[in-house]
Amino acid sequence: MTTLITNTAPAEGSSARHVTVLVDRCAGCQECVIRCPAGALTMEPVTWTALADDAACVGCRQCERVCPFSAIVVEGPLALTERYDPPLHHPVELRGNVEETRRGYDTWEEAIAEATRCLTCPDPTCVRGCPAHNDIPQFVAAVRDHDLDRAHEILHRTTVIPDVCSRVCNQAAQCEGACTWSLAGGVPVAIGRLERFIADHAPVPPPAAVAPYADALSVGIIGAGPAGLGAAWDLVEAGAHVTVYEREAQPGGLLLWGMPDFTLPDEVATRPWRQLVEAGVDLRCSTAIPADALDHLLTVHDAVVVANGAGVPIRLPVPGADLEGVVDATFFLQGAKDALMPGGDVPAWRERLGVADERGQRVLVLGAGNTAMDVARMARRLGLEATCVDWLDERFALARPDELAEARDEGVEVLFNRTLTSLSGEGRVARARLAHTVQRERTAQPTVLADQVDDRPVDLVVMAMGYRLDGAYREAVASAPIVKKAGTYPHGRWRASGLLANPASAYNHHNPVGSLSLDREVGLWAAASPRRERLWFAGDALTGPATVVEAMAQGRRAARAILDAQPARPDRVLGAAPAPRVLVAYASAGGTTRALAERLADLLGAAGARASVRSVTEVLPADLAHADALVLATWVEGMVVARVRAAAAMRSFVSGLGALGGRPVALAVTYGVNPRGVLRDLTAEIAAHGGVVVASESFGPRDRGTTRVRPSRLEAFANRVSAHVVRRIPVTSQA
Amino acid sequence: MAAGTGVETTEKTALAPPHLIDPVEVAIRTRRPEDPAALRRFEDTDPPRGLDVARFPRVATILRDRKFQFLMILPNQIIFWLVIGIGLVGTVDPGLNFATAITWYLWFCLVFVMMVVVGRAWCAMCPFGGFGEWVQRHTFFKRTSKSLGLGLKMPESVAQYGFLLSVGAFLALTWIEEFFNIAGPGNPADTSFMVLGIVSSALLFFLVFERRTFCRYVCPLSALIGSVGSMGSVAGFRTRDREVCQSCTTKDCMRGDAEGYGCPWYTWPGSADSNLSCGLCTECYKACPSDNIGLYLQKPLTSVVMPSRRRADVAWSVAILFGLVVYQQLNALAPFASFDSWLNSHTFFPHYPNPVSYIGIIAGVAAVLALVAAGVQRALASTPGVARTGRTFVDRTSPFRSYFLPLMYGIIPVVGADYFARQLPKFFQHVPRVPVSIGHLFGFGSARSSLYHASLIASNAGIIAVQVGVMAAGTLAAMWTSWRVAGRDLAPISRRPRAVQVSAATFALVLGIVTAVLYVLMNAAD
Repeated sequence: MTTLITNTAPAEGSSARHVTVLVDRCAGCQECVIRCPAGALTMEPVTWTALADDAACVGCRQCERVCPFSAIVVEGPLALTERYDPPLHHPVELRGNVEETRRGYDTWEEAIAEATRCLTCPDPTCVRGCPAHNDIPQFVAAVRDHDLDRAHEILHRTTVIPDVCSRVCNQAAQCEGACTWSLAGGVPVAIGRLERFIADHAPVPPPAAVAPYADALSVGIIGAGPAGLGAAWDLVEAGAHVTVYEREAQPGGLLLWGMPDFTLPDEVATRPWRQLVEAGVDLRCSTAIPADALDHLLTVHDAVVVANGAGVPIRLPVPGADLEGVVDATFFLQGAKDALMPGGDVPAWRERLGVADERGQRVLVLGAGNTAMDVARMARRLGLEATCVDWLDERFALARPDELAEARDEGVEVLFNRTLTSLSGEGRVARARLAHTVQRERTAQPTVLADQVDDRPVDLVVMAMGYRLDGAYREAVASAPIVKKAGTYPHGRWRASGLLANPASAYNHHNPVGSLSLDREVGLWAAASPRRERLWFAGDALTGPATVVEAMAQGRRAARAILDAQPARPDRVLGAAPAPRVLVAYASAGGTTRALAERLADLLGAAGARASVRSVTEVLPADLAHADALVLATWVEGMVVARVRAAAAMRSFVSGLGALGGRPVALAVTYGVNPRGVLRDLTAEIAAHGGVVVASESFGPRDRGTTRVRPSRLEAFANRVSAHVVRRIPVTSQA
Repeated sequence: MAAGTGVETTEKTALAPPHLIDPVEVAIRTRRPEDPAALRRFEDTDPPRGLDVARFPRVATILRDRKFQFLMILPNQIIFWLVIGIGLVGTVDPGLNFATAITWYLWFCLVFVMMVVVGRAWCAMCPFGGFGEWVQRHTFFKRTSKSLGLGLKMPESVAQYGFLLSVGAFLALTWIEEFFNIAGPGNPADTSFMVLGIVSSALLFFLVFERRTFCRYVCPLSALIGSVGSMGSVAGFRTRDREVCQSCTTKDCMRGDAEGYGCPWYTWPGSADSNLSCGLCTECYKACPSDNIGLYLQKPLTSVVMPSRRRADVAWSVAILFGLVVYQQLNALAPFASFDSWLNSHTFFPHYPNPVSYIGIIAGVAAVLALVAAGVQRALASTPGVARTGRTFVDRTSPFRSYFLPLMYGIIPVVGADYFARQLPKFFQHVPRVPVSIGHLFGFGSARSSLYHASLIASNAGIIAVQVGVMAAGTLAAMWTSWRVAGRDLAPISRRPRAVQVSAATFALVLGIVTAVLYVLMNAAD
């Protein structure tokens, strides 16, 4: 690990840190003043530039990260005390032992000492780093105040599994990597351990379920993993009928079969489901829903959430991969878990794997991610020798840094820069050929050095390179899965937070914490948008393999979107339907199109819609996710005959639209001379995104003014749009 | 919009119900900005609301277009690459060579006209910075997210002196230009080398530093255009509603977004109190998500009189630049030539201009201006004077500075007029050679043509009259600005408010008379 500034001696007086404001460049925008955790910055009244109080400065460099003009420089050490991490639990005899290895804080003194290291940043980067956006400074403050009820209340706003997340999250890549101390090169606040302290010392409150009312929403959830759990929690709390279909005999999904007890005890992993079932969730285990049953499910429920994860193990297609003694991680972990449970039979399991011999049986684990670590550590507990190989460079390792250290500590051999090229043996695998690789950058694919190879004797090979999605669902719903990749220009508030200014936190192996967080945001908002009419996706099923906390957060996001949209199956009679939400997005250069958009919104509002008007550059993912219908208004650029197109801003907006899930879209175009094929092009583009164009119209110079003829073309257009949108004439869905 | 219609355009989260507001935003508890009332300090400098030309849809469309600045730069880019090429390979007759004719008979005079009337108009179309910026952004006009080069920041030790590095560069360039007789104009190849030198040093700075560090700190013309340009009638891109800027949570105009780059000049429209460092590049206008930036006109001299923050770097720039233009006037006098040769023979320097006299006269003039300011302060300042505070060169305060800075701002119009008048003879006498030099490229037009020998004003007396007229106008303007500036900044800290105003205006008058007399003597010496 790179050297960290671990200054532990808070300096005396004001000489320790020195803040220099570049007065020539400071524009007086106060971005630093409003964000300084220590309140060390004020404004100099004459020059109207920032003024720093060196004595109050804690050296966290937040000001440096947020200053738009790089006009402030902080020198000196961080005013930071040493972080206390409880030592690992080392079982006396590893074999057969599945006790949890990581420990939380045992005493209030330890927790409060750690909580006081938090600066309670006014614009907390840790909250952006957390995929669920837990309000970290506030729950840490609650710990400081000795108030666990308030801490749970704060956590509950964003997470329902603090006990799970605090154990399985890779904090170094998320909240702790984004902690302001971490970004400044120091050791972050132990956010994960504090979260665990809360969950360990006060039980996580069950869902505050209300009895479903008569014509309550009925939602079906496919999969009882973290995403399904998040969705079920919010829906049941809102009084909906929730039915969860789980393929396995027990709920929990990845938490149960993917995570060994020494990381996540079963007791913790099953806690949420016990509470949910008690709250009235109809959990149907051993019920697999094939992709072709989706349509039927949609006739039974008002909305369906697909949260069945990514459970198909990836297999490396090398010669010899079909030999006996080559298994995948899920098979290995599930069997090992059962064998190590009280009453389990370890010798029988080893017999079944073909490694019954007591001495020196070697397991080769392909991959060095978190699953591979689990497999290898499980193998150690079965009494096997374990070696993990990964073709990545160790600097860019996918496993949690602490997990890697723990595995090595338990005697697992982890080899980076190696890749398996072939397996051989007589019927059963006996030898593995490994080639060396070189990887220079995080994003670069490693190069295989075919002339540098090792041969190793092996007795068992476990493929633990991760999981992929079920192909049938992928074919059934074209708009899922999505690629989580944030655009080049993130929302200004992300840039303003300073999280992106220092992407390489030394604490997290120089992972770009900021851009990773931004990418996760894409997944969160995608979960809020229906993939098809009344069909939502969440978790790994939506984004491909990711983390537990992300899946849970997406599940909740989908649940809230459903509650907000109040969808209804065809045969359900609604009492009072909520007014449809229409987003009028415009691209306007001189104001003509904006005026038209505003007038349109007025007319739609008068017809009973809840209409909002936004410039396309200002539309937030939230606006899109919560619009039942879209109206797009654009001017036409180009030179009368050549390159006549919709305005660039509108084109980039439309191409950046996610899945529209069959939502109605209306198009309005303002032109000077001739709109040519603009409407046709836009219609095709909208259709490609799964939207249904219900009305389109172009408005020339003579159509824009108010005419004495009633209705004007604009009013007529608005009437056509509202006929489709407001009066809820059903729009046939196109996947 | 009426509440009853259900249309909400202002509320950002209108579509998302309360429980769906992004929890990230909920967790943000930024401190309140310091003293919003202090924003009234900018009120005096705000241009009249009605003079926002960006409110016309057609203008707005043009300013929003990313190609706008590219198209402003492109013609100049073509001209100056032609200058470089033709200066090297064209005729050696400077009057006939396109490079020298267009550069010294037309361009240099136009820059001064634009400076006095508009401000940083030249910066918006400058091909030197423009070329560097194209390379730095690796695009002609698109918004790119990664820039080429090291992207360093100007070190604080240099940045704290603001425009003074630019003044130094201007002094150095002027000396080189006099030494090699480039602007005379002399050998056209020298003009090419000079332009090439500027382009390559600009490119170097654009590749080493971020944004327009070159323009802001190094460009030889930047300090002159910035200080004299404050007389101009274009206020630049300014905020429409300062409250909106103050409560803005993203500051896209400074950081940049998908529509525009962050301000390359390190200016925030929310706190801009003059046109000093607005390069008119339109980026903030494009980037603002609230459409809260306008392109404003203002009454002439507003940016001289109104800013409440007086910058020491600008004041010293004015003093030194005045020294330079006086030097250029003195060196046209007959006695100066013999003085310079005498000095050269004693300092073993080959020929005019002797660096000792060059630096000596400029420093001397600046020192005289400073001494006058100190004298006025001694005579009229109330006690106790202004306290000594501040951290760096730009924002330090002292009793001397409290007088020197406003007085130097007050004489900006004299300095501007002086530079303007200094360019007039070349323009009036030789600008008809520009079409001749263009014709010469295509094989017609020669030194024998009548146009080559034509002048807009032929007689010395005529030129003197125009120059004195310009100086008179500049002096009157300077007297007015000095009076106003003294009334605002000096009267409250003076024992005799009226006397300090009279002294300031008289100071401007004396400078105006001295320079006007010098013009008469110069031309008489011809």
